[in-house]
Amino acid sequence: MVERTQVPEEYVLSNEVKWLRTENKRLFRVLRESMNKVAVGIVATYPPSECGIATFTKDVVTAIAKYTPFSSHIVVAVKREQEIEPYERIVRFQIPRDDRASYAAAAKFLNDSDTDIVSVQHEFGIFGGEDGAYVLDLIERLERPVAVTLHTVVSEPTPGQLRVMTGLAELADMLVVMVRTGRRILIDNYGIDAHKITIIQHGVPNVHRVSPMAVKRALGMADRHILSTFGLVNRGKGIEYAIEALPAIIKKHPEVIYLVLGETHPGVRSFEGESYRNALLETVNRLGLQNYVRFNNRFLALPELVRYLCATDVYITPYLNRDQIVSGTLAYALGCGKAIVSTPYLYAEEVLADGRGLVVDFRSPEALANAVNELLDNPAEREVMENLAYKYGRRTAWFNIAVDYLDLFRRLMLRHKRRAGMARQREDQVDVAT
Amino acid sequence: MDKDLRILVRNENVPPVIELDGELDAYTCGQLRDAMTAVIQDDSPTVIITMLKVQYMDSSGLGTLVAGLKRASERDGRVAVVCTNPQIRKVFEITGLVRVFPLYDSVEEAVRDIGR
Repeated sequence: MVERTQVPEEYVLSNEVKWLRTENKRLFRVLRESMNKVAVGIVATYPPSECGIATFTKDVVTAIAKYTPFSSHIVVAVKREQEIEPYERIVRFQIPRDDRASYAAAAKFLNDSDTDIVSVQHEFGIFGGEDGAYVLDLIERLERPVAVTLHTVVSEPTPGQLRVMTGLAELADMLVVMVRTGRRILIDNYGIDAHKITIIQHGVPNVHRVSPMAVKRALGMADRHILSTFGLVNRGKGIEYAIEALPAIIKKHPEVIYLVLGETHPGVRSFEGESYRNALLETVNRLGLQNYVRFNNRFLALPELVRYLCATDVYITPYLNRDQIVSGTLAYALGCGKAIVSTPYLYAEEVLADGRGLVVDFRSPEALANAVNELLDNPAEREVMENLAYKYGRRTAWFNIAVDYLDLFRRLMLRHKRRAGMARQREDQVDVAT
Repeated sequence: MDKDLRILVRNENVPPVIELDGELDAYTCGQLRDAMTAVIQDDSPTVIITMLKVQYMDSSGLGTLVAGLKRASERDGRVAVVCTNPQIRKVFEITGLVRVFPLYDSVEEAVRDIGR
């Protein structure tokens, strides 16, 4: 059973086509002539940089590449000044975050490349300048259609954030958000044209249902009820509230164990070290929970993460920022069909609606404990919730999300081509008239 | 737990029909690979795959169809697909494989066309 948490990859389309090159040249040629080509250039952070957007970028480009064996995709990676990253070959250009001239140079690089469309992964903090304004230098110089995926939509923006966001809306051909709430905020609070915004949900790994017990056994936790939270640890995660909820949960379910999976966010570590994690450890010691909480202080690769998620009975996102418009970890938990308890940040509120999870107040250990106990007390209720979550998450498996992105890219490319054709026609008419 | 993909081979049809029910992805495509290999080797180089009850298909599903097409074309056969699910049709259209695999709305339509 455990093997089923590892996604088999060998028969993906791109591999089959590669094999045909030697096994059946005629069919290979037919496919090369028939299949659509779309070379995507992505501007974003990229692994081994450790952040949610880097992971997202790798996931989305990998998923797209599986459908487009005759197209070469490239990444323009944004990195911190002091980092020397051993990037994969797909990264063809690097932008040191705070070096303004690099943004224009990146635009030139993309314009000179074979790229058909540019996809920018946006979060204010990953780009240089005030509120990440340097990204506009890049986009305004691009001669390709541009889609910008927004990983943060602040409902009450600062003047700087508002300037950047409206600039993005003006320059990009399409803004992509991952939930309806994000679209509504952009229309109501930023005055952005509804036609410029589309929704493509956050992708999740392709995971088929497995028995948690089989995975628990493999992890040596067969006799425990597993609660978990994963992701890069920082103060916004609110993990202290989940830890403070534990005594009330343990009182009813002494077999519980809470796994906090993931290292401290590198950005956070650089300015405050491990002080948040140390504070969490102090809370664990103060409450005498040493046997009930486990920290795994490292960046977990996808297969390991999926394994822990498959073993989880209740997944918790006790996050503190109401404005959070997307959470990769919550999306993954849905994709694995987990019962989820969360605070009501915007993304959670939307995706956990209709019985797909329990939403409790911010900063309330009592409410968290009650919700977790309710789920542990009622396996049947939990199972219904798990089924609803899985069904919802299944539609958002990366292979479906890749198709949504390719569909969007194709539409934008067609529009761009039409506009370019019309512009040429106008130029010709002017020439004739003069 | 339900099986993720059920396969029924109807050899009595000409050409034979392979009916799929469930999800065709990296976990399940091996079953289709085996079924297509057996039918193409033992029964007929031309085969119809019906996906009327398939909810999702990923790039491994497409890869498996291409592998089947390779075997079929080596014996001068063809592979037709019956499919009405818009999400799955979109996968064929987005990739351009709609120009390689003829898509039909019903088995009857596919038989009329490809079975001639």
